[in-house]
Amino acid sequence: MSDKITPPEQREVKKLRLQNMPAAERVCVRRRDAAEKIWRFFRFVILCGLGFVILYPLIYMISCTFRERNDMNDPTVMWIPRNLTLDVLRETIEAMDFWGALKTTLFLNIGCSLVQVISCAVTGYGFARFDFKGRKLLFGVVIMMILVPTQVISLPLYTQFRYFGIGSLKVNLIDSMLTMYLPALTANGIRSGLMILIFRQFFKGLPRELEDAAYIDGCGPFMTFIRVMVPNAASSFLTVFLFSVVWYWNDYYISSTFFTNTRTIATMLQNLDSELKMRIFNDPKVQISGREQIVWRQAGCLISIAPVLLMYIFLQKHFTEGIERSGLVT
Amino acid sequence: MSGNETQKKAHDVSEEKRSAAAEKNGRRPLRLSYAKRKELYGYGFISLWMIGTLMFFLIPLGKSLWYSFNEVRIEPGRSVTEWAGLSKYDYAFNQDPKFTLALEATLLETLWKTPLILIFSLFIAVVLNQKFRGRALARAIFFLPVIIVTGPVFRVISGDINTTGNMGADQFSTMFSTDLVGELMQFLGIYGLSENMGEIISTVADNIFGIVWSSGIQILLFLAALQNIPPSAKEAAQIEGATSWEYFWKITFPYVSPFILANLIFTVIDSFTSPMNSVMERILEMKSEWNFGEASAMAWIYFLIVLAAIGVVSAVVNKFIYYEVD
Repeated sequence: MSDKITPPEQREVKKLRLQNMPAAERVCVRRRDAAEKIWRFFRFVILCGLGFVILYPLIYMISCTFRERNDMNDPTVMWIPRNLTLDVLRETIEAMDFWGALKTTLFLNIGCSLVQVISCAVTGYGFARFDFKGRKLLFGVVIMMILVPTQVISLPLYTQFRYFGIGSLKVNLIDSMLTMYLPALTANGIRSGLMILIFRQFFKGLPRELEDAAYIDGCGPFMTFIRVMVPNAASSFLTVFLFSVVWYWNDYYISSTFFTNTRTIATMLQNLDSELKMRIFNDPKVQISGREQIVWRQAGCLISIAPVLLMYIFLQKHFTEGIERSGLVT
Repeated sequence: MSGNETQKKAHDVSEEKRSAAAEKNGRRPLRLSYAKRKELYGYGFISLWMIGTLMFFLIPLGKSLWYSFNEVRIEPGRSVTEWAGLSKYDYAFNQDPKFTLALEATLLETLWKTPLILIFSLFIAVVLNQKFRGRALARAIFFLPVIIVTGPVFRVISGDINTTGNMGADQFSTMFSTDLVGELMQFLGIYGLSENMGEIISTVADNIFGIVWSSGIQILLFLAALQNIPPSAKEAAQIEGATSWEYFWKITFPYVSPFILANLIFTVIDSFTSPMNSVMERILEMKSEWNFGEASAMAWIYFLIVLAAIGVVSAVVNKFIYYEVD
């Protein structure tokens, strides 16, 4: 509270007031100020310590990426590399086919997230504002979607996509992006249960008068949704979209189940080790110890989170403040 | 209920009359009542989701339940199932060498980690809700795990730090760890307690990395709840001269209590569905060995246990929650 440096006059006033107080009150005020100061110190220590726990892996990644592998064996090198180099980064980018994977990932990521946010918003609105038979039961299904891990249903889903269609008309959808797009389109993509829940809560929180006004003006429910509700929900749309992008970005289970040739950044990172083994580690001319291999692994981590990290840095406000407005709090 | 229905019927009748009148006037007849129409629109809004859920959730879910009672073989073009009764469940419980152990370990870990994560994240949220210089930066750092923790990078991070990093988690958690606690205890004149306590606390300290990293969303939710505390409550407490301790228990805690439940459920689900826990690993292992029946049975056992746990916990916690009634 009193972090700001108070102007001298204000300090004078405070002093005067302290002098005019009865002794008991003065003691009380002094004690409170002292407690405040101690707490401030403790807060600083705690936040720094825990902040370090969080930042440590990132700092380590950056430090490893730009050092030569010999530095790993040098006991004097802790954080700051002795020999700076970009070779490791370049080799890792090559091994991961980073730019190609990035293109696929972005195409998949942004497309799916966009489609999924829209479909989940429509569904959430349906659950929030309309009364129909079996709503409670159906909403129970939404909760089930949150609870059931994908791993439980991945095998039947695989066979379903492998032989997709009706009767004898079957197509193999494995490896096609439709395996991601179709569920996203029908509000069944990654963590869509949670998203439906968020949107439902949000739309429930909006005043009903908004829609009533639109209905009276002769707007149908769907147009009301698009013209009145969506603009009001813009910021929560953005937040949910950003989270969705992150979740799709981080997914490797689903993509490695359905994709064999389509490469996303997450699956490439999973395969980085074997890829590196083929390219660098098994080269008989150079001996690379297990410890030295960390350099490449960390570089892989760094480049695979770099895009989301950048997004986070620039749009941080929407991540942290959006939740407050997104209606989870009502 | 019945009164409501008769009302609805009356409403329908009047609606019919009106539509008849409308017909007379040459307009398109509206045979459906307003409530009926809204119901249809409701189905319209969720129809897309219903189709998707049927195809990509309910049918696969049912199939996996079916698989858990069957011997499953994949043949070209289809999967062949052969009724095997409860033998898969029997296998999971009585024969599989790893499953029960993994189940026990995972449940135990969830049991002690969840309260710690909740307490920790509530504490951090309260701290981050205070005003101080650099708060925006501190918030940015504490929410950072949210974007990383669900991905494969986190696996590498936690693996690397525990095994091969040049400074292990053990090492850097020593600053919170046993020695310090033991010394503090001795300093305070508590001797007998310190060994047991020390052990517990050292486990916690070794896991502080995991706890800090998995409480991003929880902090976010608690912070949002804290910011929703009405200023009037704050003022009243100030006027009454509440200390910050009292303020926390009498004002903050009741207001965030609904979020404790939400966070509790979120934390449990998160640790339960994480592909990094040992039960999930075992299930995936079985799956990669083409033992689909066993894998499904294990998944269902696990799922039902966690479902029951969540049900019991939320029923209990619900009793202690303060809901503000507007």
